[in-house]
Amino acid sequence: MAEPLVVFDNVVKRFGTFEAVKRMNFEIREGEFLALMGPSGCGKTTTLRMLAGLEQPTEGDIRLAGKSLVDVKPHERDTPMVWQSLALFPFLNARENVEFGLKMRGLDGPSRRRKALDWLERLGIGEFGERDVNSLSGGQRQRVALARALVTEPKILLLDEPLSALDAHLVIRMQAVLTKLQRELGITFVYVTHSQSEAFAMADRVVIMSKGEIAQIGSARDIYRTPANRFVAEFVGRNNIFAGTVNGSGNVDTPAGTFTLDGKAKPGERVSFVVAADVVSLSVSRPTARNTFAAQLISEEFVGSMVTLFLEAPGDTEIKVQVQERSLEGIPREPGQTLFLSFDSSHAHILKG
Amino acid sequence: MTTKPTTRPDYYAIAWRLPLIVWQGLFFVGPLLFMVAMSFFLVKNYRMEAAFQFSNWQRMLSKDFFWDAYFFTLWLALLATAITSVVAFPASYFLAFKASEKTRRWAIFFLIIPFFTSYLVRVFAWQVILAQSGVINAGLSFIGIGPWQMLNTQFGTMVGYLVLCLPLAVILQTFSLANIDTRLVEAAHNLGCGRLRAVFTVVMPLAKTGLVVAAVFCFILSFGDFVSPYYLGGSKPPTLSIMIVDTSKSGQQWPRAAVVAITMILTLLVVAFTAIGFAYRKRGK
Repeated sequence: MAEPLVVFDNVVKRFGTFEAVKRMNFEIREGEFLALMGPSGCGKTTTLRMLAGLEQPTEGDIRLAGKSLVDVKPHERDTPMVWQSLALFPFLNARENVEFGLKMRGLDGPSRRRKALDWLERLGIGEFGERDVNSLSGGQRQRVALARALVTEPKILLLDEPLSALDAHLVIRMQAVLTKLQRELGITFVYVTHSQSEAFAMADRVVIMSKGEIAQIGSARDIYRTPANRFVAEFVGRNNIFAGTVNGSGNVDTPAGTFTLDGKAKPGERVSFVVAADVVSLSVSRPTARNTFAAQLISEEFVGSMVTLFLEAPGDTEIKVQVQERSLEGIPREPGQTLFLSFDSSHAHILKG
Repeated sequence: MTTKPTTRPDYYAIAWRLPLIVWQGLFFVGPLLFMVAMSFFLVKNYRMEAAFQFSNWQRMLSKDFFWDAYFFTLWLALLATAITSVVAFPASYFLAFKASEKTRRWAIFFLIIPFFTSYLVRVFAWQVILAQSGVINAGLSFIGIGPWQMLNTQFGTMVGYLVLCLPLAVILQTFSLANIDTRLVEAAHNLGCGRLRAVFTVVMPLAKTGLVVAAVFCFILSFGDFVSPYYLGGSKPPTLSIMIVDTSKSGQQWPRAAVVAITMILTLLVVAFTAIGFAYRKRGK
């Protein structure tokens, strides 16, 4: 494993009395694609801005390649950023925007121009170099912003919700561009987003933040299959959350039913556990399998060939079941219909917080 | 569906605009045209006669004293514009980016207050301040220097121009700077541009329109001003506005004064249009 490129060491950020980032410790590895994800106001953008030097941590230290950044001015750091608003300079054309960082580093005109054009070419917008940035499309402007940030060949690139202003089909395209670029360049990407699909699609590791704290760090698979706590399970969605007390025989009594977790919980304990929406099976008549419960169908949602059914089990327990459309043949899907659901106890994951 | 909308004149809209059109026609366009016509009139025995002669134009434009006054006025106005813009900028920058919302509001309020008082009155106040036995020289003599001649000098004129222009320039500059998207400034820092450098490479280009408009106002106000060069500058050498007064008073030479006035208007038009064109210029090609 590579040495960590960035270390957040007990970093705290307060704005007045508001604690935007609470004592944060984590590392960013060299060459990884790390996503900082969370709902708005969770401190993810503040974290990124502290890395770029646009905010100063109130407490703690941030180290880049072993060197403390605390006294390094933003313009002395090599931490280029791609803004949500792109922040392209409207008084410069596309090529001049890309050249900006090189110009600040004192590179001569011809070399600047050559490098800028190389990058525009590489990102597939070579012919738009002399165009006014305001006359470019969203996707083209996005590429100009990327080229501008990458032209100085940084070790790390910061991205602050760069795709949130784009149309859905462009987002998918730009995701591919970004992942390809990151692989080819081998540099570290730190990507702030509130979109789970963006984070899960691109990142090697995802940091989930909530109210200024890290809720979980892990791969997309880890976070999806084994959420660390209730917040993560709810934020990720597609999870069914059950809460109850472990009875004498080691089973969990919940409002939706009694479930066995194969000794994962001790009697008397209150536990919450999650079962992912895609591991729940569905039938019209009560099956004989363990961990079966009844729920009423409320609505359904199509995404391609997948269908998500939304049901309600006793105790206002919201249940989501994600299945292939095909597998629903023969199952009546009128709202109000009672269906029987079951899951394998190996798929139940106990939440810690 | 290609039916063209019928272009019936909108009498309602016209009715509302009419008073303004009439007013401007009667009291602006009319007199202006009359002044242009008058510049071709003749004066005989201190009386104006309608005519169409170029003699006034020839006489004025061929005289050194006219061109001396012209370039002197141009120089003073440009100097006032430059000084005002440079002095106003740091203040505006502070108000736009550093000051709190509350401070900014108070500052704008205090910048508007001078306009409560007539400019002429403010200039008279400055006479008292700048005079040989005025406030400043009294202070200077107290610490053993001076007195300095400030009244009836170009310095005095310049003080007057700044009194006229500075508050307005700070207000205009502050508003244009405050409208800047600060993320662009952050982006500049992020790309390796230091603070001071960002002022020139990012802040100024972004606020260009407002900065130029403020400068144009300074130029227009000081180029045409009569009060400062007369009461604080001692009218020597004369500026064009003083020359208009002198010419029309001495020998009833209204036509020659009209020549001076028209030259001034043309100069202002050229400067204003060039500057506004520059301010709003789309980056090219």
